[in-house]
Amino acid sequence: MAATVETSLPAEIDSARCGTEEEENRGLEMEEKSQQQTGSTGPTVPHSRLSKLPLARIKALMKTDPDVSLASQESVFIIAKATELFVEMIAKDALVYAQQGKRKTLQRKDLDNAIEAIDEFAFLEGTLD
Amino acid sequence: MAERPEDLNLPNAVITRIIKEALPDGVNVSKEARRAISQAASVFVLYATSCANNFALKAKRKTLNAGDVLAAMEEMEFERFLEPLREALEVYKKDQKGKKEVSEQKRKDKEKKNDSENDKSREDEEEEEQRMEEPEEEADEEEVEN
Repeated sequence: MAATVETSLPAEIDSARCGTEEEENRGLEMEEKSQQQTGSTGPTVPHSRLSKLPLARIKALMKTDPDVSLASQESVFIIAKATELFVEMIAKDALVYAQQGKRKTLQRKDLDNAIEAIDEFAFLEGTLD
Repeated sequence: MAERPEDLNLPNAVITRIIKEALPDGVNVSKEARRAISQAASVFVLYATSCANNFALKAKRKTLNAGDVLAAMEEMEFERFLEPLREALEVYKKDQKGKKEVSEQKRKDKEKKNDSENDKSREDEEEEEQRMEEPEEEADEEEVEN
């Protein structure tokens, strides 16, 4: 798919997470720009391309919650998009620990360290195999 | 066939792509790390959904809307997501609007051939979901537009 854009990130990883915000935004902008170019002739761009994750799968996941009756299309899309941002965030945060260990390969323990250290990931504690 | 949360995973290829695009070149990700991130993403969806649903229920709505999700992000301390999410939502809305106009146009063209009464009832059914969203979204419009 030509829409895949390889955003070149600076070689130095800012250990302060505030620095990653800009990169995330840039990544998103570039993705949308390329999609607008390819789909500019009309409504031929399937909305699922705005989100990398399949909306049907996200919706199915949401519906496993017995308290959820209906979800608007927009809400499913936003959750899909937020999940994308979440994956980017946790990968970058885990990378910091790999680098501390002088490794270039992200490992499970790096994830565990990030989850333990970062407040926003507290909800993940005890949930992963 | 009820699907349990454990059975529903997000596609590996997509998760891998998102990870790779977020990390600099030359960095690898072990299979175990990838699997863990994918699992974490599923948990994130469930947690966000539950949180958003609470906002909907508080507002006495049965349909989860975008505003609920944004409120959930704030509650979950992911404020950093709010700006990019709002921007993405704008693009998404425009895209959806364009599609709706096209399908409405197609339907109008059909009407010229078919019985107009039959088409009208079909139109109402399809638009029901959309209509349900609109009044609810107006209430939260302030949040979304900010």
